[in-house]
Amino acid sequence: MKPQAWRRLRQIAQILALALFLFLFIYATFLNPQRAWADFFYRLDPLVALTATLAGRALIPGLGLAAFTVVLTLVFGRAWCGWLCPFGTVLEWLTPRRRHSSRKPLRRSAPRLQAPAEKWRRIKYLLLFIILFAALFGNQSLLFLDPITLMTRTTGMVILPALRFLIYETEAFLYQFDALWDVLDAVHSAVIFPIFRDVSSYFNLAVPIFLFFIAIVALNWWTERFWCRYLCPLGGLLGLLSKLSLVRREVSGGCAACALCSGDCPTGTINPREGYHSDPAECTVCYDCIVDCTREGVAFRWQLPTWKPAPLQEYDPQRRTVLAGLGAAALGVAVAGVEPINKRQPAELLRPPGATLTDFESLCIRCGECIRVCPTQGLQPSLFEGGVFNVLTPRLVPRLGYCNYRCNACGEVCPTGAIPRLDLATKQTIPLGLARVDRSRCLPWAHNIPCIVCEEACPVPHKAIWLYEAEVYNARSERITIQMPYVVKELCIGCGICEHNCPMGGDAAIRVLAPTEVGDFFGDDSDYRPHRGRRGS
Amino acid sequence: MDTPEYHWTRRRFLQWLAATGAGAVLTACGMRATPETISPTTPRPTATSEPTNAAETPSSATAEASGTPTDETPPAPAPTATPRGAAYLAVARGADPAALTMAALAALGGMERFVSSGADVIIKPNICTDYYPAEYGATTNPEVVAALVRMALGAGARRVRVMDMPFGGSAESAYERSGIAAAVAAAGGEMELMSPHKFRETDIPNGRDIKKWELYQDLLRADLVINVPIAKHHNLTKLTLGAKNLIGVAQNPGGLHTRIHQRIADLLSVIRPQLTVVDAVRTLMRGGPTGGNLDDVRLTNTVIASHDPVAADAYGATLFDFAPEDIGFIKAAAEMGLGSLDLSALTIEEMAV
Repeated sequence: MKPQAWRRLRQIAQILALALFLFLFIYATFLNPQRAWADFFYRLDPLVALTATLAGRALIPGLGLAAFTVVLTLVFGRAWCGWLCPFGTVLEWLTPRRRHSSRKPLRRSAPRLQAPAEKWRRIKYLLLFIILFAALFGNQSLLFLDPITLMTRTTGMVILPALRFLIYETEAFLYQFDALWDVLDAVHSAVIFPIFRDVSSYFNLAVPIFLFFIAIVALNWWTERFWCRYLCPLGGLLGLLSKLSLVRREVSGGCAACALCSGDCPTGTINPREGYHSDPAECTVCYDCIVDCTREGVAFRWQLPTWKPAPLQEYDPQRRTVLAGLGAAALGVAVAGVEPINKRQPAELLRPPGATLTDFESLCIRCGECIRVCPTQGLQPSLFEGGVFNVLTPRLVPRLGYCNYRCNACGEVCPTGAIPRLDLATKQTIPLGLARVDRSRCLPWAHNIPCIVCEEACPVPHKAIWLYEAEVYNARSERITIQMPYVVKELCIGCGICEHNCPMGGDAAIRVLAPTEVGDFFGDDSDYRPHRGRRGS
Repeated sequence: MDTPEYHWTRRRFLQWLAATGAGAVLTACGMRATPETISPTTPRPTATSEPTNAAETPSSATAEASGTPTDETPPAPAPTATPRGAAYLAVARGADPAALTMAALAALGGMERFVSSGADVIIKPNICTDYYPAEYGATTNPEVVAALVRMALGAGARRVRVMDMPFGGSAESAYERSGIAAAVAAAGGEMELMSPHKFRETDIPNGRDIKKWELYQDLLRADLVINVPIAKHHNLTKLTLGAKNLIGVAQNPGGLHTRIHQRIADLLSVIRPQLTVVDAVRTLMRGGPTGGNLDDVRLTNTVIASHDPVAADAYGATLFDFAPEDIGFIKAAAEMGLGSLDLSALTIEEMAV
């Protein structure tokens, strides 16, 4: 195959991988979470497999697919980064210097900014070691730096919702014209609904997440694939494996030292001073250099049978890098241990359903799959509600969206089992919080105004909100019988639809707070019957 | 050229003018039109010279001017001009929901009485949540809905849409869970996911408590609206029936729960479904409106149909051993002259199927 064909093949692989990644956002929705596919890219991610196994102290069978990526890397080097990684693809496309058509040699203007020193490449290894040691200590706080979690988070919490907002606002504008309704209805049901499902999203961290993403993309203007060269911990892991790869780039006698390739290499690893050799730990197997070469002076070749590990570079991790990673991880975990969440669960921190059954904070990789799939978008990335070290872990914010009684999608898509896979009947009996009526604000309790919106929506079979009847005077001094809602603790599963639907402005007059364990068995409601009497009777 | 870059030229001025103008136009387009009485009072084209059912409640208009409800109630509508041989209210009892529906409609004079050929028909079942499937009695029986779809299409309707706005779970999920989506598709109808853009603030000229509310416009524009509630328990209003089912086509349903009975009657006065079919096949006796317990479901095996929404609800109330006037919204609607709750004065055809 000609070099151009290889590069074209690579670009097709990139497009397909990114398309699949995005398609899963549309395909794996809460009505059918597609458990076989939803977390596909996580199962290919060896960094996630390694840290989740270490931190969770458990073998997660689904993550075994990461072996594919490991084998791929042991054969071809960091081909994942150049061929498959969706974030790598985005970074390749969002780069200031445009790639030219494959027929012309690549020619780029001289960089305006000097690339960082070569030893910066060590940062990714340091991050990798910190992450791995922290995982060993049961902490995955830094997994938000994994490129797949980063892409899921940004796409699911910012890009798609913002796009949806744009489209729905455009629709709102067009729907002002009655004559267009039939056309708009047809377009909506044929195109817009299948993609966006009429979900509306509000994410409290959308702006910071977007800025973080933009900052990483902006670093491309400093030097191409800045993230992949210097920062990506997954790239670091694959880079270490690539030192052993079987297929590597070789410079042969045909090289005329024209420096076309070294100028064009997206990771800048071709070193003119070293005879245009490259480091397989940095090379993404993009084939640009081979397309560039006018003399067929470079090629990717099998190293067997004379294989030996690739030579070490000045920036490669040394013993002190590993020790620094260990030290930083230990220090970080020690500091995290001082956070009060270790002593007591904050009242307003509601975790996704079933998370109380697992070692949630250790297993969660902050990927945002659960947040993406949540049909009410009540799952939100936390800021500091669960402590600084649990930033971006999911929490339920009932005022923004309740836990849908009929949905167990978050557990279905969770790649690491931090949210367990529960069948619907089980999920419906596991409390994730406990509702509490604020009698100083509730319309019937505080204002003698009839309202049972919370009771009406309560999904459990015997209702967890029951009603006292009391005779009161209303604002017209009429004596009326009014129903006052109260929560039956034994039946409440904390789904939060009461809080969500409460008509009070601002905070609801019924709020779900962290679950209370007092020994009652939840779920079997056969003994419970609503008391129909009046208050006190 | 040494001329400074920033220098007003005619071209630059015109560009600036065009850009500002375009911006202004866009801004103006984005502004919400002041709701200039999107008035649904223009009577919907009805199929036949069908009973007008004392629709226009003439006397109430003056009472409304003061803004407060008065004790002076408009006269209850005379059960008028039902086509010869047709019942005012039909009640069918039996085990097969579809057969019950067809029998009840036949007693009213057939679906042809309501559907003209080429009509745009909307059926409004109760699909309140996606919590439980139909046998729990929280959502309208899919066979009843499907039978209505089939009859409407058979009578020459151009299209039949079925819609509701659940308060628990998404519409897509609730449609599927209730079994109504599958039944309607098989019957040839279409489920419409109600678009947030098709709600508009609508005048309620005869409203006693609310004078305006955001309502789904398609319902006001359709040639025929068939209201298909399921009769079931509800803690605030005691029962959910036809009139209360209309809360599902209004925005901010939570806000309607204050003075709910009058507000429901006010909604009824503006939406005015021409046909009400009460599904009382599996009635939820407790734990409504969401249910979840088969022990609370009673097999009542009844379908009630009438052009008079109040009469249909009134009969439905009796199935739960309530008198019609025990249910606040039925009483309020009757007081507004929207229909008759005095069942003894009506020609009721009861049949076993």
